[in-house]
Amino acid sequence: MAAIEVKYQEPEIDFTLIDRIIRDDYGGNKENLIMMMQAIQKQYRYLPYPALKYLSDFIGIPFTKIYEIATFYASFCLEPKGKHIVSICTGTACHLKGGGQMVEHLCQKMGIQPGKTTPDMKLTIETVNCLGACAVAPVVVIDEKYNPEADLSLLNDFIDRLKAE
Amino acid sequence: MTESINTINTTPFSRIFKPKELEGYRKDLLSKNDPNGPKVLVCCGPGCQPSGSIEVAEELKKAVAEAGWNGKVIPQIKMTGCHGLCSKGPLVTIEPDGIFYQKVKPKDVSEIVEKTLLNGELIKRLEYKNPATKQTHSHTKDIPFYNRQTRLVLKNIGHIDPFDINDAIMRGAYSGLAKALSEMMPGQIISEVKASGLRGRGGAGFSTGVKWESCASYPGDRFIICNADEGDPGAFMDRALLEGDPHSVLEGMALAALAIGSERGYLYVRLEYPLAVKTLIQGIRQAEELGLLGKNIMGTGFNFELSISRGAGAFVCGESSALMSSLEGKVGRPRPKYIRSVEKGFRDSPSNLNNVETYANISDIILNGSKWYKDQGTEESAGTKVFSLTGNTYNIGLVEVPMGTSLREMVYEIGGGIPKKREFKAVQTGGPSGGCIPKQFLDTPVAFGSLAKVGSIMGSGGMIVLDEDNCMVEIARYFTHFLVEESCGQCTPCREGLIRMLEILNRITKGEGREGDIDTLEELGKFMTDFSLCGLGTSAGNPVLSTIKYFREEYEVHIQKKKCPAGVCKPLFNYSIDANECTGCGKCRLRCPVNAITGEKKKPHTINRELCIKCNECYKGCDFRSIMII
Amino acid sequence: MKTLKIILNGKETTAKPDQTILEVATENGVFIPTLCHSTALEPAAMCRLCMVELTEGRRTKFVTSCNYPLRQDAEIKTDTEVIRRGRKMIIELLMARCPDSDELKRLAGEYGANLSRFEPLNDDCVVCGLCARVCEKVGGKTLTLSGRGVHIKVNTAFGEASPYCIGCGACVQICPVNAIKIEDVEDERVITIHGKEAARIKLNHCDTCNKYYGPVIDLTKVMERLGEKTIPPPNLNLCPACARQKLGKRIADRYYDVY
Repeated sequence: MAAIEVKYQEPEIDFTLIDRIIRDDYGGNKENLIMMMQAIQKQYRYLPYPALKYLSDFIGIPFTKIYEIATFYASFCLEPKGKHIVSICTGTACHLKGGGQMVEHLCQKMGIQPGKTTPDMKLTIETVNCLGACAVAPVVVIDEKYNPEADLSLLNDFIDRLKAE
Repeated sequence: MTESINTINTTPFSRIFKPKELEGYRKDLLSKNDPNGPKVLVCCGPGCQPSGSIEVAEELKKAVAEAGWNGKVIPQIKMTGCHGLCSKGPLVTIEPDGIFYQKVKPKDVSEIVEKTLLNGELIKRLEYKNPATKQTHSHTKDIPFYNRQTRLVLKNIGHIDPFDINDAIMRGAYSGLAKALSEMMPGQIISEVKASGLRGRGGAGFSTGVKWESCASYPGDRFIICNADEGDPGAFMDRALLEGDPHSVLEGMALAALAIGSERGYLYVRLEYPLAVKTLIQGIRQAEELGLLGKNIMGTGFNFELSISRGAGAFVCGESSALMSSLEGKVGRPRPKYIRSVEKGFRDSPSNLNNVETYANISDIILNGSKWYKDQGTEESAGTKVFSLTGNTYNIGLVEVPMGTSLREMVYEIGGGIPKKREFKAVQTGGPSGGCIPKQFLDTPVAFGSLAKVGSIMGSGGMIVLDEDNCMVEIARYFTHFLVEESCGQCTPCREGLIRMLEILNRITKGEGREGDIDTLEELGKFMTDFSLCGLGTSAGNPVLSTIKYFREEYEVHIQKKKCPAGVCKPLFNYSIDANECTGCGKCRLRCPVNAITGEKKKPHTINRELCIKCNECYKGCDFRSIMII
Repeated sequence: MKTLKIILNGKETTAKPDQTILEVATENGVFIPTLCHSTALEPAAMCRLCMVELTEGRRTKFVTSCNYPLRQDAEIKTDTEVIRRGRKMIIELLMARCPDSDELKRLAGEYGANLSRFEPLNDDCVVCGLCARVCEKVGGKTLTLSGRGVHIKVNTAFGEASPYCIGCGACVQICPVNAIKIEDVEDERVITIHGKEAARIKLNHCDTCNKYYGPVIDLTKVMERLGEKTIPPPNLNLCPACARQKLGKRIADRYYDVY
């Protein structure tokens, strides 16, 4: 029984797809474990418990080790993400131009901490430690679209659009 | 990125069967594609792409296709890597004249085609404005940002389509490898690299040639690894190289493999750089088709196979032993390097790990000779270095200068100085492992030793310019917070030391600083330097130690007077309008998001402290410097 | 084999190439404090308590003695002023994590550490990693260090009670601050970490003495790991004590019948 409170519907896991990822895409090679997990996360937008269990059994790596990797690397997520994902860059250049303020503002307006998802599963707020677009700081990525020289009004517009959904 | 409108004229990829054939292939390409023909180069680098340069390129393709050329040669439209002057993007350069247009929007395209491409006329509003002289410059060669640089490593970026290997070959790609394969023994390659004086560009500055020689001396399967996990916030040099000229890096790795005796290479690319992965995959594929990488390279029997591995969001994986651990599919925890990775690294085998920029330097060293390289830069730091100049300068972007160039020249001549008449305060170099260099050291030459002497490091090339509106205590707090999040957590000094430092810095920036805090910070910083397990930990104290060294009074004001003179730490200052300076223009009143400013037109305004959220909008916008920090 | 000339705290001694400083110090009766070290496991050099000052040639540096391989003549100082200050700091930092640890209190006394220098975190673990390392080597591979940085902690997969634990208790034995608890309650063995159940293993019942013993280890898996053919399953209704008694009686019956 998972210790995480399951407040969401776990997706149907397509085990043949996972077979394909492990065996065909990555040759069943233990060294490619991280990339296999990235492929699984790309499919389900997070790492579902049953998928990881299956991966552990298939490839012969202890389940604990898989959990160790999933919790060490910041890009891995063990809980589902929201419909929309806003990533705010907190690199130095973006920080100097007000990135920190934008994180505070959005988190305060949506009532969640960075890294978390709203209870209605509509929005996940993330911070990223430098996207490499420092010249157009501060950068906010909304649903994979880069917004250079972002400001509070951009966020406010987004919040309004979200509320209207 | 999509394909260029004019694909390069060539016969379908034919293999190069001998090193000497490459030159013939190259000449053949040049004869069919005039290098001096008209071209429009649209920057699709990390700064310009988010600003809409791809739309500009699409518009150009359409407009050029529809225009009436009347027998004139139709210009090629190329989507290239970073042109360098990122803060003025989207950038468009028109060859062969070298016309430079900045802040180009899709709606400017038809005018560019009509006036400049068809009739050779310049469009003044798209020209670069020199902040010092207030003149505009229409050509790249006249812009100080460019003409004060020495672009060697960056020489192809902005001129070639990174998705087309033939473009790179026309400009000399793989000629270094061909020369080495036909004329040099592995030992000679290593000697050349040693003699060139090239030192690692990732930050540690270790002699590249010595590292190669050391790796070659250990028996076993050897691996060539490229550290493309550029994690320093504010640094995007490696990103521009990988996305703008991937072959310079791939060729460098192949030369390393040839010199050291390896058949297998890996590029470990940060997760946040998906475009770099695309250019690399395409580059490797095209090079293998041509016989320039992969099996039996140029018919010589030399094999070198390359794979790409993705990071997963861990700054610490930029550390070499953590990177190799991650490559093996494990957690990226550094291991103590008493036995060096050139002896036992990836898979416990001899491994040579170098930074992206280091590999990009190799081909030219082989082609032009070690003396050519050693003659540039300084005695102890040969060659050039690419920096990402960001922060508070007019010109923000990628800069390449010979080692030994002064910080002053970088900030003022190349960077164009500090906008809005603000005072320079410090330059931060080396990312979270580096320190802040104050005004009195502006004439310090940029080189490994000289930067270390003033308490910072070269690092990977991030250079952040800070002015009087930046709080040094807050900067130290920011970097410490970054390191707290990125520390692997293995060893006591780094894990515990950093979090305690952050606790103290948080208190100080909230106005709860205590007597003895500065001493404790210094003690913790020194302790981490001496006792930590890896480079992240041993340099984690640098941001705090260097800011205490040069800006101690600022710390003391925060702690004793509970004030932030720079106006950054919100609980420690207030905004107030100086009635004598205020012209009543009303700009601040309009910018204020909470309507905290009141006043009549042309009369001094006032800020209501109860409502003020200290968002900085009014201060940023005031042209008369009438808002004070008290 | 070449012998290395070592000067240890001013006294001359020798070492074999690739011996660690800690080994040489132990051989020479010089004590260096450690926390995350066990002679049964590969050194991790995580606690940094065993750091010493090493001079090889003209370079002097700080290295951890548990894993530094000596390869040339060297001078080692194990107790300089800087070293002592560093150890003091490590203890002060760890005390803030686990204020109740006896082992740390003992070390604190020796190095004059200020027990309440930093705000306490009220944890009970010093993150030495010994439990995770020993579990990987001899146990069921159920413990790991999850997370990163200040969030790092000893954990099972997803923090749930692990079905892979074999109940060997190696983690309990090796923990230097007694942070892992083991208890046999009725027919179950419970292992507790951070106040949470990490594993609950079924014990066997001995029909002879009517007590529970255990744990129930899947011997087939153990034999596989050893690379041996599977053996017929043993009689699990007989605890080792009763089995010894039974065997002893059989031997006595067979050999003392004569008398």
